[in-house]
Order: sequence, then structure tokens, then C-alpha cells
Amino acid sequence: MIEFKKLSKSYDGKTNVVDRLDMTINDGELVVLIGESGCGKTTTMKMINRLIEPTGGEILIDGKNIMEMNPIQLRRNIGYVIQKVGLMPHMSVGDNIELVAYLKNWDKQKRRARSRELLKLVNLDPDQYIDRYPNELSGGQQQRVGVARALAVNPDIILMDEPFSAVDPMTRETLQEELIKLQSEVKKTIVFVTHDMDEALKLGDKIAVMQGGKIIQYDSPEKILKEPVNDFVEYFVGKDRLWKSPEMLYARDIMQKRPAVVLEHRTPAYALEVMRKRDTDFLVVVDAPYDQPQKMLGVVTPKELKGKGMVENNRMIDIMRKDYPTVTERTSMVNVLNIMKQEGLNYIPVIEEGSNLLTGLITHGSIVNIITDALVDSEVGKEAL
Amino acid sequence: MDRPNFFEFFMSRLSDVISQTVTHLQITGLAVFLAVLIGVPIGIYITRNKVVARNVLGVANILQTLPSLALFGLMIPLMGIGFNLAVFVLFLYALLPIIKNTYTGIVGVDDSMIESGRGMGMTNAQLLRMVQIPLALPVIMAGIRIATVINIGTATIAALIGAGGLGSFIFRGISMGNNNLILTGAIPAAILALVVDWILGLIEYRITPKGVRK
Repeated sequence: MIEFKKLSKSYDGKTNVVDRLDMTINDGELVVLIGESGCGKTTTMKMINRLIEPTGGEILIDGKNIMEMNPIQLRRNIGYVIQKVGLMPHMSVGDNIELVAYLKNWDKQKRRARSRELLKLVNLDPDQYIDRYPNELSGGQQQRVGVARALAVNPDIILMDEPFSAVDPMTRETLQEELIKLQSEVKKTIVFVTHDMDEALKLGDKIAVMQGGKIIQYDSPEKILKEPVNDFVEYFVGKDRLWKSPEMLYARDIMQKRPAVVLEHRTPAYALEVMRKRDTDFLVVVDAPYDQPQKMLGVVTPKELKGKGMVENNRMIDIMRKDYPTVTERTSMVNVLNIMKQEGLNYIPVIEEGSNLLTGLITHGSIVNIITDALVDSEVGKEAL
Repeated sequence: MDRPNFFEFFMSRLSDVISQTVTHLQITGLAVFLAVLIGVPIGIYITRNKVVARNVLGVANILQTLPSLALFGLMIPLMGIGFNLAVFVLFLYALLPIIKNTYTGIVGVDDSMIESGRGMGMTNAQLLRMVQIPLALPVIMAGIRIATVINIGTATIAALIGAGGLGSFIFRGISMGNNNLILTGAIPAAILALVVDWILGLIEYRITPKGVRK
């Protein structure tokens, strides 16, 4: 765990480049520091391995103040990947990966075995690449070696300073995918600096949006997207960003919150009346009125009403369809749309996870509304620019 | 008068030529060796402080600018004439290219190498030994090569102050009006410069790390 406590850095003694930062980074999390250039994100990161010394506050790693540690030892136990890769051109790929292990006096065989293992991990064939020199590799391959080098002595913490910003977009995407996969295997605590919001949303378990040396918002990517704390974050995220990341949208974001319902003991005639009033042909049958938690029992549509339905003393509970599909609040929009398409549904009720309590209803209409809102927003945004 | 042709003349002086070539190489070699011994550490040291770097390079520049004959003349009252003075003056001449190239080579190492080296936990000494010097080595070697070749030329003038070397044939030939004698000094001196330059060029290539050879 890395903790910042009132962490500050000033070069001139007057203005703080990093300004009394408080932040906790949990083990195994990939935390992205993002902001415009000059916001202090890189300075913050470099204070973790003391390439830059703080002028105020402290950094604790697993409860220990790093200012009390030997900076050389500290750095050997923290992986470091930089934008320009920084592979030593006079050393072979293998020697580059083994550098930290060499500094830590590992014996040669153990080093070699480890670098072969790491090359495989970053999808480079050890036999083919271990004796090559960095200038014989493409940019993407070089950065793979850079990542392997950071993992060499199996550090708990890895710092990554815009590692993928110098490669072409295609390679960048591949490297990002690989990092996600890699991280799911190695579960390191990673501090990742970038100015690319797409990258942050894709990689981060948490994102810290920085401005003027302060953290404006420190949240999950989903929260950053949906609940930006102020205009700066919203602007930085970009209003239409949500629509580029549909996997970030869940059923609860697109559902209609007060769907038309009918109580279980009501008659078909009453149900028809509700349909007419609410201008719908789909009712959820529930066990309680609006002001109480409503358990979903089934659904009725004109089809159920039409048959045996119009018989006077039939109740909803008798005629409703019971096996109607549902989704939970946390089902992603992509999955919701897939289910609706496969089952040929126009409506799908949303229930609370683990219970049958009705929380909303997704209709074609509610989806269209959401999309319309987004389009209007982005049009307005464009005009404003 | 039957003038002997150059080849016969040269062969009759061969043993003399060889011993003067050895002296010539000794003067140059010793001067360059001392300049490397002192210039490389100075070049490395001044990378840590810009002000010191400017001053040191300035002084070395002035030394380089002084005409060699003038420098010899200035030093005679202090050191007398002969071999030692020649070595000392040539040493001063060799300093600038060596200090300058060492400095340029070390400063020219890409920042990202330094950053990643430090970030991986290298001490300053390790950074110097494992990163900066290996990467600067071709540039440093080029400085040594330039210094050596210049010195082979300047060392011919050292004959004037009684240090010996191939220059002694040339000056004696000039005063006697004997072209064969002049050539007996001049041709080996020219060949010496070319051969040494070629050998140092080979060494420069060999010490250039494999991954950075063009």
C-alpha cells in the first residue's frame, strides 16, 4: 500500500507543483494519474522512487516512510517504465532485462532463467530475442522489453510514466491489452501516468484526475465518467466519452425508474386502464404499491389479457407470465441489448441483485432517450466550442 | 657530382630512421598517454558542474590556440630543452581534444538512459561505469585519435628543441639544402600519421558497443 500524506513539491519555494496531496493506493491496484501537462502527475509519480524528493509531507510504503529508506535500495525494489523506454543500447535485450537483478547480485543462471521467463510473459520469443540489441527491435517490442525489465526482480510496485505514448496507435492498443492481461496474472501495484483519457479508462482500477498539483477526483473509471465532480473533470473526460465506452454503462443507467406496474390482485379491466393511462402495453406485476419495496412476480401484456384474461374474476396473479427474462442493475448495457435482441423483447425489467425487487424497466424508448440526450449534449458541446 | 637516388639514400639511413621513428612515437605516445590519464577524468569530472566545465574547456582552448613554436619557446626557460619539454608541450596540446570529447561524450548520453538507470537503482558510480562511459567511449576514443594524429605532426617540430624524432631529418635537410634528407624525415612522418590514424580507427570501431554500431 502506498500512502501520500500532505505530499508537496516545490521547486522555487513559492508555488507547489504538487500541493498537499493525500491519497492511498491499495495493493494490486492499477492507479492512473491523469491530467494536462504541468499538473504534477509525473512529479508525484517520481517522488515514489525518490527520483524527485518531496519538499513537504510524506510517502509511506506499507507504513514505512520512504525518506528513511536508502534511495538506491528503494529504487531496486520498484519497477520503472518510462516513455522513451530507456533500454541501454549497448546491452543485449537479455542484459537489459537482467540489469536490476545484476545490481542486486543475482547469479548469472538465475538471471538468465528469469529473463527468458519474462520475455515469454511479454510475448517475445526468448530464443529469438534474448541476444538481440534494442536498435534491432520495433518500438512496440522495445517497450515490451521495458515492461519485462520492470518486472525483473518481481517488485511489488511498478511505476509507468506514459509508457505507451510514443508508439503508434495500433501498437499502443495491443500493448494496453497485454498490460491488462499481464496485470490480471501478476497483480502488481501499478502507478500509471498518462494524459490519455481513453487509456486511463481502459487500464485504471482507479483514476486520479489532477489539476494544479491537486487531485480533483480519485474514483473508479465508472464514477469518473458518470459522476464527474466538477466541470474540469467533465471537460477532461469529454461528454461523449461514455458513448465510446458502452461497457461502462449498466442497466441501472439506462432504465426507466418508475415503470408501470399493477398489483397482483387487480383485474384485467384495471390492468387495461393502467396501460391506457401510462401509454404502454407492458405491465410488471408486483406485490406492493409504489411507496414500498415491490417484488416482481411476473408481467402482463395485451396477449395475456386478451385470452382468458377478460374473464371478470381473473386476477393478475393467475394470468401473468412468470418466466419473463430479467436483468440486474449491474448487467452491462451491451449484455442488456444482446438479451433483448436474442429474445426479441421490447421490454426488460431490472431487478435488484440477489432479490426479486423491481428497480426499473428498460424499454426501447428508454434506450433511445439516453442516446438522444448524449447526441444533443455533444452537439451543444460542439456549438459551445 | 653523382647524386644518389632517394631510395638508396633512405636505405643507407634506415637504422637512423627507425631509431628516430621510435623516439617520435615515444614522445607522442607518452604525451597522449599522460593526456588520457589526466584529461579523461577531468572531462568526466566537469560534467557535474557547468561553470567549472566552461572554465576548464576555456583554458584548454587557449592552450590549443597558442602556436606550438611559441609554446616551446615559452617553456624553455622553465624546463630547459630536450625530450621532457617536448612531451610536456605535446601533452598540453592533447588535453583539449581529449577533455572536450570526454565531456561531450558523457553529456551526450541520452537523458532517458540516465533516467532509467537511476530509476533502476544504479549508484552514480555504476551509472558512470555501466552506462555513461560505455556509451561515450566512441566519442572519447575519437578525441584520443585526433590528439594523437595532431601530435605526430607537432612532434616533428620538437626536433628544433633537441628532442629528436623524425623532424630532425627535416630540419637538418633544410639547413643543408638536401632534399633527400628532408624526405627521409617527411615521408615516414606522413606514413606514421596515416598508419596510427588507421589503427586507432580500428580500435575505435572495436570498442564501440555492438548495439550502437552504425
